[in-house]
Amino acid sequence: MIQISEDQSGLPAPAPEKYDQSGRYVYCVALTGEEVILEGAGIEGRSVYSLVNRGVSALVHDCSPQLYRPSGQNAAAEWVLAHHRVVQAAWSRWGSVLPMVFNTIVKGDRYNAQENLTKWLEREHRSLQNRLEAFVGKAEYGVQVFWDPAAVGAEVAGKDPAIQMLEKDIENSPRGLAYMYRQKLERLLKKGLEARAVQEMENLIQRLNPCTDNFRVEKTKDGGDGRQMLMNLSCLVCNERLPGLEAQLDVLSKREGFSVRLAGPLPPYSFC
Amino acid sequence: MVDLLDRVLDRGLVINADIIICLAGVPLVGINLRAALAGMETMGRYGLMDQWDDRTRLQDAARQPAATGQGTCNPEEPTGSALRTYGV
Repeated sequence: MIQISEDQSGLPAPAPEKYDQSGRYVYCVALTGEEVILEGAGIEGRSVYSLVNRGVSALVHDCSPQLYRPSGQNAAAEWVLAHHRVVQAAWSRWGSVLPMVFNTIVKGDRYNAQENLTKWLEREHRSLQNRLEAFVGKAEYGVQVFWDPAAVGAEVAGKDPAIQMLEKDIENSPRGLAYMYRQKLERLLKKGLEARAVQEMENLIQRLNPCTDNFRVEKTKDGGDGRQMLMNLSCLVCNERLPGLEAQLDVLSKREGFSVRLAGPLPPYSFC
Repeated sequence: MVDLLDRVLDRGLVINADIIICLAGVPLVGINLRAALAGMETMGRYGLMDQWDDRTRLQDAARQPAATGQGTCNPEEPTGSALRTYGV
């Protein structure tokens, strides 16, 4: 459980004198004027606290002014999880956050890091506040649509007279000729599947568009287990629209050969 | 977990470069980290993936807070991320 305690003095946690802790690792900007400390909740157990500027705050921990570079996978994974947990906790508490990209560390120059960050918050105040307010009641969802190319391929083949004819020809031909026909059939099938994929994607985007406030088309990845990822979207969805999105995905998933994976709700990483 | 990696490492707000620490003038993103994290098997070995995936798996249709796991890696999430699969 991340304990959130109120810090009355408004001062950051004291940094160990031995090490240079002049950097400020920034997790996110949040729509809040609250001064809080999240003890030990950050990367490598650092305490995270809010740096407040007129109703918009940065969640930070003190660190040495250098990037986090992983020495091993375990460390890197823990850092990523810790970063997300802080963002998630802030999101839960205050309803709207702008997550920072990982490894955002403010340094000191003429001014110290704290001053630099405060000045940035002040300079960007209106823009940050507007964007934070626009995200209230919204969340990001990952929508991945998979299909079974064999199942859909059979359907495509069944509807294509040219392919049907080739199938007959293959049956009735000697081996050499049959091999050529089979190659031609595979090419036709491939083209048919590609055309169907484009059609399905266009169709899907048309259906999902009214269910989202915004979306991004992402690269597809290997689905594994024989399934092929047809489409990968990051969607920004307000709470009111979510049931509509779920309904569309439910309908899609009932189609032969299709399945859907919905991940979320997440803070709006992809829409910052 | 993969959903999270891509987002935490590559997405999010970027502060203007002059006050943040960069790599040779380029704001750092998760390049080295991504290389370090490529290899889900390794993460599985450390049990992090299992803990994370278990927490994000939807128990039932309702959105429930994720159960508190064991160990320091799993604080209870006030609103857990849910993962739903349809038609699988």
